[in-house]
Order: sequence, then C-alpha cells, then structure tokens
Amino acid sequence: MSKTTSRDPKDLLDRYLQAVAFWLPKAQQQDIIAELSEDLHSQIEEKETALGRSLNDAEMDAILKHRGRPFLVANRYLPQRSLIGPVLFPIYLFVVKIVAAFYLLPWILVWIGLMSFSSSYRAEHTSAGWFGAIGSAWGAWWYTALFALGTVTLVFAVLDHFQTKSRFLEDWNPRQLPPARNPNRIPRAGSLIEVVVNLIFSIWWIDVMSTRVILNRPEIRIVLSPVWRYFFWAFLLLALINAVVAAANLARPYWTVVRASLRLATDCTASALFCWMMKASVLAEITGANIPAARALEITNAINLGLAKVFPVVLATGVVIALVDARRILRAKNVAPVQFKEVSAAVV
Amino acid sequence: MSNGTANVEVFANLKLELRRGCLTLAVLTQLRSERYGYTLRKALADDGLEIDEGTLYPLLRRLETQGLLVSQWREEDKRNKRFYRLSPVGEQILELLLAEWQRINASLRKILQEA
Repeated sequence: MSKTTSRDPKDLLDRYLQAVAFWLPKAQQQDIIAELSEDLHSQIEEKETALGRSLNDAEMDAILKHRGRPFLVANRYLPQRSLIGPVLFPIYLFVVKIVAAFYLLPWILVWIGLMSFSSSYRAEHTSAGWFGAIGSAWGAWWYTALFALGTVTLVFAVLDHFQTKSRFLEDWNPRQLPPARNPNRIPRAGSLIEVVVNLIFSIWWIDVMSTRVILNRPEIRIVLSPVWRYFFWAFLLLALINAVVAAANLARPYWTVVRASLRLATDCTASALFCWMMKASVLAEITGANIPAARALEITNAINLGLAKVFPVVLATGVVIALVDARRILRAKNVAPVQFKEVSAAVV
Repeated sequence: MSNGTANVEVFANLKLELRRGCLTLAVLTQLRSERYGYTLRKALADDGLEIDEGTLYPLLRRLETQGLLVSQWREEDKRNKRFYRLSPVGEQILELLLAEWQRINASLRKILQEA
C-alpha cells in the first residue's frame, strides 16, 4: 500500500520554486517561476487524475527529482557564460603551460638548487627545521603561482571581453603564418658552425692541451695531473666524431635514428668525462715566482675543490642533454609518413 | 573509464547535438497553432519526440527573445497559462529552416544510398 501524503504537497512545491527562483535574475524571476509552477501543477493534476487520488510524498519527491536540482533548473534559463570563452581558451591553456614550465617549475628547481648547494641560504632558511623550510617555500610558491596564474587569467578575461565585442581574432592574414616546421630537419647553418667549431677546437686542443704543462711562464706555471692524458684523447676523439657527424648532417640535413643515437652516445660520453674531470683533481700544481709554495698548494686545492663542487651541476646538465637527445631519437623514429615524406628520401 | 562507458557517453553527446536543431524545428512547427508549454510537450511526445521540461522552457524563452515566438498569459481551467505561437518572423524563419532541413535530408539520403 502506498504511503499517503503526510505533509502539505503545496509546501514542498513552494520550497522547490523558491529554491529555483533564488538562482534566477530578478527581471525574469516572476515570469519563469509562474510558468514552471503552472507546468508542475499540470503534471501533478494529470497524475492525480490517472491515479484517482492525491499524490503521496514519494510521488511528489519523484516529480521534483525528475525536474532536477533547483540550481541546475535555473541554470538552463541563464545565458551560457564563461570567464574565458572557447575561442581564447586554447591560447590561455598554452600560456598557462608556458608559465608553469618556464616560471613555476624553475622556481622549485632554483629553490632545490639553493638548498642543496648554498650553505648560507640553507642556514638562513632551516632555522625552523627542514619541515619549516619546506612549508615556508611551499607557501611562497603558492603565492607566486596564484599571482602568476591569476594575472594570466585576468588578462585573458579582458581579452575575451574585447574579442567578443570586436572579433579582432577574425582579422588575420594567412601569409603571416610561420613556415612549416619539420622537427627532424637540421639547419645547415647550424651544422656548418658545428663543423668549424669542432675543427678549430681540435686544433687548439692539440696545440695547447696536449701536454700536462698547459702554462709555462717565468711568473706562473700550471701543470695538470697524469690523468689528464685520458681527458685529452677522449675529448679530442669526441670533437672529431662530432665534426664528422656535423659534416654528415650538412650533406643530409635530417636526423636519422643512427645519427641521433650517435649524438646521444657522444653527449653521454662527454658528460661522463666532464663529471669525472670535476672529481679527478685534474690540477696537479700551480707555481709562480712570487707565490709561496704553501699559498700555491692552497690555490691548487681550492680550484680542485671548486671543480668537485660543480659536479652536481655538470651531472644535471648531462642528464638534461641526454633527455633532449633521447627525445630526438624518438622523433626520428616516429616520422609521419605523409607530412615528412621528404625525410625518407634524405635518410642515409 | 571503460570503452563501453566511453562509447555510451560519445553516443549521448552526439545524439544531443543531432537532436538540438531538430527540436527547435519541431517546436516551431508545433507552434503554428497556439499552445502552452505542457500541452506542447505532450504533443511532441505523442509524435515520438520526447523533450524534458528543462530543455523545452528555456528553448521557448530563447526563441521568444529571438522574435520567433510571441506569448501571452491567459486564464484557462482556472489557472494562468502562458500560450505561445509563431510570430510572423518565426513563420518566415520556419519556412527557411524547413527548406534547409529538406535539403540536408535529401543530401543525407543520397550519401547513405551511396555508402
């Protein structure tokens, strides 16, 4: 047996209409509510006639539930509004990504770098402990992020307002489009510069850095440690390989998997060598006519220690270069057959 | 989200898009003769085109704002009801829309036969 109406159904209806009215603009409120009320009454009446009795609570609830949440019902009468419309939204999203990648992410990386390598900065910011330092940085980062993204959003909201009125985005010239870019194409000018730079470097390297005594003057003499000979030959070999690869790129200016892999290998080797050099106490001695022996030793140790401290930066740079090189290999592998069909003709 | 759910959602969205223009056409056609909202909805449902109140009333309001419909509050069966009918502009626009719909329909038929 169905439950009979225990509350006044009119009261529930009034509450529903009042809730819808709350979200409607004043000018249209009365009109819309009158029509909605009339429609609901018609529906209730029809159902009551069919059942031959008044509706119970559950049946009333079902009718109103079917109509929808008051806010959503009112929302359908309102014009579609947005702070940034669909025309500018993709550009807005692009700018937000740029702000995140080139401002907010570097902010975090700089903070990590300062906390890791600057003892004075670390001492200044960890007085309340590490958690305090992280909490304070997090707060500052959020403030920075909110300000940056808020500013971008505000600028785009204003632009959207003007775009809606003036339609300035519709006025454009196809001739001003940038040239079609092939990410696998290697600019010939770049390859030429690479060949020349590597050859000049090789000549200078052989001329100046082939011996352990890299400076030998009456006033100062700088001698490298015996381990230097490994670095000498390795860097020379890398420079020559790079010159050969650059020459090949000059002739066939498209990255192939083979050449991109070779570049990854040479860059990884160079990074590993640099990392090793930072830690290898590569400076053996500095002597000078006017430098006391103890002072010279102090300077030598300070330079070796300074190089060792740069190790994390060299390592991080090497990782970034390796990632860029790896991405280049993936790009060369996934050449779109139609868009870059000229690449296939250029592949070695 | 599973493929099945995604497909259901994609279909629902496409169906919504497909119905949107058709509903406007159906509403305008029905309002060649005067009706109020509730009876209009019933008439459309009887002809096989279900439309919920949350879609119908805002649509009527929009069409009236665009000058395609005129409305009038009048008492019927002891209750005030808002009656809608096509305005003269609405009649012209409806003719144009129907011609366009016929053209699209004919093209679709042709495309479907070719496929």
